[in-house]
Amino acid sequence: MPQQVVLPLVLIAVVLGSMAKQTAAADAPDFVAEIQPLLVAHCYECHAGEAAESGLRLDIKSEAFRGGDGHGPAVVAGDAQASPLVQFTRSDDPQLQMPPPEAVSARLTAEQQALLAAWVDAGAVWPEGVDTAVLADRRDHWAFRPVVRPQLPDVDQPEWVRNGLDAFIKSRLEAVGLSPSPEADRRTWLRRVTLDLTGLPPTPEESVAFLTDQTADAYERVVERLLASPRYGERYAQHWLDIVRYADTHGYEVNTERVNAWPYRDWVIDALNRDLPYDHFVRQQLVGDAFGEDAATGFLVTAAVLLPGQIGADEASKRQARQEALADIIINVSDSFLGLSVGCARCHDHKFDPVAQRDYYTMQAFLSGVRYEDRPYHAPAAEAARARIAELKQQQAAAEAELAAGPTDERRGQLEHDVAELKKQLTAETVKTRVFAGSFQKPDEVFLLSRGDPEQPGDLVWPQSLAAFDDQLQPVGLGPGAGDQTRRLALANWITHPSHPLTARVMVNRLWQWHFGIGLVESASDFGRNGTLPSHPLLLDWLAAEFVANGWSVKDMHRQIVLSATYRQAGGPGQPEAMAIDADSRLLWRFPSRRLEAEAIRDSMLAVSGRLNLVMGGRGFDLFRSRGGLSGFPPIEQFGPEGRRRMIYAHKIRMEKESVFGAFDCPDAGQTLDRRRRSTTPIQALNLFNSPFTIDEAEAFAARVTQEVAGAGADDEHVDEQISQQVERAFLLAVARAPDDVEREACCAVVREHGLASLCRALLNTNEFLFLP
Amino acid sequence: MNQPLSCSGLRLLNRRGFLGETAAGLGGIALASLLAEQGLLAAEPIRPVIDPTQPHAARPPHHEAKAKNVLVIFCAGAVSQLETWDWKPELVTWDDTPLPGGPEVTFQGPAGNLARPQYAFRPRGETGKMVSDLIPHLAELTDRFAFVHSLTSRTNTHGPAENFLSTGSAFDGFPSLGAWVTYALGSENQDLPAFVSILDPRGVPQASSNNWGPGFLPAEFQGTTLSAAAPVRHLKVAGDVSTAADQATRGLLRQLNERHLSEHPADGALAARIASYELAARMQLSMPEVGSLAEESPATLEAYGANDADATKAAFARNCILARRLIERGVRFVQLFNGAYASGGELNWDGHQKLKEQYDRHAMILDQPAAALIRDLEQRGLMEETLVVWCTEFGRMPFFQKGAKGRDHNPDGFTCWMTGAGVRQGVSYGKTDDLGVKAVEDVSSLYDFNATILHLLGLDHTRLSYLHNGFERRLTDVHGRVLRELLT
Repeated sequence: MPQQVVLPLVLIAVVLGSMAKQTAAADAPDFVAEIQPLLVAHCYECHAGEAAESGLRLDIKSEAFRGGDGHGPAVVAGDAQASPLVQFTRSDDPQLQMPPPEAVSARLTAEQQALLAAWVDAGAVWPEGVDTAVLADRRDHWAFRPVVRPQLPDVDQPEWVRNGLDAFIKSRLEAVGLSPSPEADRRTWLRRVTLDLTGLPPTPEESVAFLTDQTADAYERVVERLLASPRYGERYAQHWLDIVRYADTHGYEVNTERVNAWPYRDWVIDALNRDLPYDHFVRQQLVGDAFGEDAATGFLVTAAVLLPGQIGADEASKRQARQEALADIIINVSDSFLGLSVGCARCHDHKFDPVAQRDYYTMQAFLSGVRYEDRPYHAPAAEAARARIAELKQQQAAAEAELAAGPTDERRGQLEHDVAELKKQLTAETVKTRVFAGSFQKPDEVFLLSRGDPEQPGDLVWPQSLAAFDDQLQPVGLGPGAGDQTRRLALANWITHPSHPLTARVMVNRLWQWHFGIGLVESASDFGRNGTLPSHPLLLDWLAAEFVANGWSVKDMHRQIVLSATYRQAGGPGQPEAMAIDADSRLLWRFPSRRLEAEAIRDSMLAVSGRLNLVMGGRGFDLFRSRGGLSGFPPIEQFGPEGRRRMIYAHKIRMEKESVFGAFDCPDAGQTLDRRRRSTTPIQALNLFNSPFTIDEAEAFAARVTQEVAGAGADDEHVDEQISQQVERAFLLAVARAPDDVEREACCAVVREHGLASLCRALLNTNEFLFLP
Repeated sequence: MNQPLSCSGLRLLNRRGFLGETAAGLGGIALASLLAEQGLLAAEPIRPVIDPTQPHAARPPHHEAKAKNVLVIFCAGAVSQLETWDWKPELVTWDDTPLPGGPEVTFQGPAGNLARPQYAFRPRGETGKMVSDLIPHLAELTDRFAFVHSLTSRTNTHGPAENFLSTGSAFDGFPSLGAWVTYALGSENQDLPAFVSILDPRGVPQASSNNWGPGFLPAEFQGTTLSAAAPVRHLKVAGDVSTAADQATRGLLRQLNERHLSEHPADGALAARIASYELAARMQLSMPEVGSLAEESPATLEAYGANDADATKAAFARNCILARRLIERGVRFVQLFNGAYASGGELNWDGHQKLKEQYDRHAMILDQPAAALIRDLEQRGLMEETLVVWCTEFGRMPFFQKGAKGRDHNPDGFTCWMTGAGVRQGVSYGKTDDLGVKAVEDVSSLYDFNATILHLLGLDHTRLSYLHNGFERRLTDVHGRVLRELLT
């Protein structure tokens, strides 16, 4: 019995009687002189302007007559009794009356109420051209217009430009009188690009190779090496999983394990590593079951969901829960791919964007066959497991038959052991045959729900693409007979149409954000009218056009960005004039340095300590000793090799942050996340300085350095020399450079007095280690 | 009630539906100035500016604050209003009869007959308000409280309902009240966390960290969990690092960071990290002090029940003392949990099956320590600037569940109260019907309750906002009314 949000306006049906209509009086009140001032003084507080309450605007004639959400015209000309405007302003019921008691505006006096009623009864004459606002077309918004590939702008220093995107950056800088920063040194660029593309620091060997490589394509070959590394997919998949709020538990109160969710996580990593074209990447996540990419449909069901036991036993509760589950699918699809918050139109027309409430439900109709369920997995790995199960079952049957025949005691012992072992293997193999991904059934009938309330169904609707784009894209509509897969495929094709104005723009902007920390459009998942404007609109369109022209290749975008002059700039101290105009470096007059994310910090610590376990895929390792219930999630403080895998392979508990790195703004997988925060807290400092993880890795780091600096042994003459070499090696591993003399001296003193692990612990906490340079 | 006035407004597959923005012409400009003169323009959002080197620096409120600090006593599992604060004598009359027209099935299953309050009620204090014998110590304080008896929640499921109470959204992933408050106001004490959540000795509440999470706010506004028994994690260095090595390492780190900063002057994020290590070092010193009850007098320990023979009660009492010590030291927001995870009502207030038996025990744990805490805050003059809130995620049904001696979930009418700075004493606002099925008078939502808390702290709930995914998010979404009836 969930609480229904019963808004007072609904009750008007009770208030309304079938009272006789009054006839128009000859001396009808004048709208401009008498009525409009009343509306301004008493109604416009809430019912004027773009964000008008309940979608009702009284500042524009057509809108007033159209009415607000779910209540029809506010004014019925000639019939005051049937006009909500008159009824609500007249009511004495605090639940109904307008303005409501909490409004600043005063109520209408009896005379004013009579005046308003008289005006309506007299035909509600509202002259043209007196409105206090003008309607604009909500479709008239930059992001909804077609992508047009712009000409490269001319710039003052063409020699600075390395590729197309640089021309746009340079031209914009010139327009405000700024110049780019000098090129970063090779060491800085290598460390930046390696951390950026793989989430791990360069090894000393990689540094030496690059620093001594004098060939013309040295930079290009580094980028190719990094993009070909499986470490790349592990790094960039995390960005995508943030958006879709991937987790290995169901969320909400019980937060039980979502046992087989991980094939989707592994699919994202693999898709990125093999540079699956982005249009396919989208299509497979929506309808991978049609392309032999079953795990990809895990995308549809990444959100938290209430399990049957958590939903009320009554039918209304079940309907409500189903609507919540579908809402999360719509949010995934529209926020992730389109950068458009269609989810906001669930209860009313979108406040800002051209998305009608009907659009929400016609989109729901594409997806209403999707359910959140653990189900049979259709993939080669699952087929292999099924074959193995058949084999194991045969062996089990044979052993059991022999047992039934009464073997010798010795043989019986062996057989019983075998059967127990077979059962264990069967359980393990059975898990591999299942997946938590979209589960597909006959689509639910979809109704337009008044105020989003499942108990107030309106029209039956069918799949229909967002009407606002009908002028630019062939609309897609399906009838009631269309099956589930047909529906999802139609939606996928509509989203990935090369002319879709949003799909490519949204993705290239995300890629830009992942490289530079902030997108050209800051609100990466909201390209709507309430989102932010692009800092470089032409560049965004140029990138989008390049992206589609190059077959939606994500790796190609990476190449263009990291090899650009823009990306190669130093991130160092700001020029005062640039700091004054653009302290946040949005115009990219320098590279915006920033703190690494939680996963990159943990992974880098393990890489430096030499203990990073590079095993890929599968269920993942635990961060907690046990789950939920009374003890909550007691963290594991000391990890074995399994726990020293990359953090993307941690078994992700929704809403429960990892005990050391969670404090570094690790998302909780509750809501979709377009961009990581980068906060700085004393809790982070306590965790990173004092935790067993840090102490363990500092010791392993020290042991590694000791081993790698082989050398003249322990006699006193050589001790200082050896310590100096150890300090140097530790610096090369952690920050890819040798210490300067001051640092060397300070570090050697600490090592001499307190051991190498103290230095290693300090290095793992330095800003230089923790920041993308 | 399914039919609104007309269906025509719903038929929006019509281009006009896309026409909506004001492209204000001359008339619009004139209108804007007219509205501005009358104070009618929608208020601009207020987003606090955070100094990265001092994220918890005290920040000014929007208007004069009545309260500086908040203590929220959060009773997890849904305390029955009918056994505590909402007296329903009619239930005695109709005991063990069916509720005419009542629902056949509620959250957990079939509904049984109406059931009388399981405890006697008697008039309390000067107001003579009827309060149950279940909680005799708290009942003595009745005159001080401002009750809201007509609260409603959006959901009847514990996890989402705790989310809703603590974050204003039934979904996972929204910032908690404490995060909003510390984001807005920072803290008076820079050596302690600004927002502390004290967990019940029996375990974590149902919605766990959602109740103190930062949601999409920066992580610095997350609640720090601790209890009298379990201090902040990683306060001391792990392993066998000597104090000398620890200090030398800290010194070396500072030196390396400062050298690095000198090459990157004017980088706020780098300076902030250096500052955060200084803060952490201060917390290492101040946290053990605040957590130690050694300097508490025997009389104080006795008053709270801190040495009670019942270990759970004693542990909760110690948490209550810890709460006072945190408030005393200027911690902005303290959340004190009473009750843990769903457990068939054994470890929290979720009395589905054997309500009286379980409530006898839960009340024994809550009552004396919580009442002592309020008296102690008063005696030390801390109530002058502290708002104390007692809350629970929803209420319970007036009938028992079929075949059981307990009540099912009821989100349609339940009671919470507040007391302390800026709160009128001895007020009872809103009513449920004669049987306690649902709120019928001055029906209020938890949005209203949270709006009122923010108001007392000097914050306008319609303006305190954070831009997330393109939306100005608020604790109260687009809802909420300050319950002025509760204010002095």
